[in-house]
Amino acid sequence: MSTYVYGIVHDDESLDGLELSGVGREPAPVRFVRARGIAAVVSDAPEGLRAKRRDLTAHQEVLQELTRRRGVLPMRFGVVSQDDDAVTEQLRDKGDHYSALLSRLEGRVEFNVKAVYVEEEVLKALLRDDRALRERNESLRRSGGGTPAERMAFGERVARALEERKGRDAATVVRPLTEHAERVATGPLVDDCLTNTSFLLPWKGREEFLRRAATVQRETDAYMDVRVNGPMPPYSFVEPPRN
Amino acid sequence: MTVIQETTAICRPSGTLYEVLDLILDKGLVIDVFARVSLVGIEILTIDVRVVVASVDTYLRFAEACNRLDLGTSGGSGLPDLLSGGVEKGAKNKSKGALSGAVEAVSDTLSKKKGDDEDGDEEKKPARRSSKSSGRTTRKAKEE
Repeated sequence: MSTYVYGIVHDDESLDGLELSGVGREPAPVRFVRARGIAAVVSDAPEGLRAKRRDLTAHQEVLQELTRRRGVLPMRFGVVSQDDDAVTEQLRDKGDHYSALLSRLEGRVEFNVKAVYVEEEVLKALLRDDRALRERNESLRRSGGGTPAERMAFGERVARALEERKGRDAATVVRPLTEHAERVATGPLVDDCLTNTSFLLPWKGREEFLRRAATVQRETDAYMDVRVNGPMPPYSFVEPPRN
Repeated sequence: MTVIQETTAICRPSGTLYEVLDLILDKGLVIDVFARVSLVGIEILTIDVRVVVASVDTYLRFAEACNRLDLGTSGGSGLPDLLSGGVEKGAKNKSKGALSGAVEAVSDTLSKKKGDDEDGDEEKKPARRSSKSSGRTTRKAKEE
């Protein structure tokens, strides 16, 4: 049977009493494959594993629990090894890399921040700030919206103005939080967000970070929805070993 | 999910599995000697997964948001500004995903093999999951 890998941790006796449930319809018990002072967190891989809510949640929760302990190098969802022996071999082979990475990330967590515009509000702000745009809008409104061609041209100007604004607004969110982070990683702009940024910070710095995040939220609340998730394992800050 | 529970104290209760899906699916370690299970399946399914997870989350958000509404005492005409703003935002952001998702889900269903609908069945049981999840319950309690 193949082996599902959740992550890699420092090996110590505290792992012995740890009971975690993993992926699968009947949640597979989580166990540890140990070598060279580190341990891979694994379970039997269920048949036909796919990215389902249940299993995504199980993967995430195993990692969250380990994050609350000494920390973990999180695997991406769905990583499977042929068997336990192949896992042991990997740990033996690349143990130095994983140990060093674990030590570097020990006591650190990731926070992810995504910001999206509240469309109506940002459009209002755009018109307030740009006189030419505002006047054009008013004249179009007076003429009942204008011709389709006029509307299209105006919409294009609005879209351009919005695009220009995005960078500035993203910086408004990211810059103050960067001060509190050791490292910053940028993610893809999923779901029309204007920023998707992950911050790595020491566990003990999290309250300060969250206070600052709350301030950012308050200050941008009128036209942006700034969503903060964390603390999480350092998904965005783990590098694979070089071959 | 613990992620959310721990942030809501300071941040708005918006986090869900969906919010961190890009991290779980696209970040994190990949080791080349290990396979990524049905790698192709997951890559193709990522969009599908986002859609399904998003719509379940939307239902949950709506249900929770409606739950918090007290129409009787707010006089019927208006909720407190803050609350209605939050609900609208949530609906705007999420329902868009769910709707455009429906289109993709439909086309996806068409191309799906028979007997491959196991996921659908499971995704229809969010109530069972959320009632079991202490995270969600705690979060609700905090908000109230």
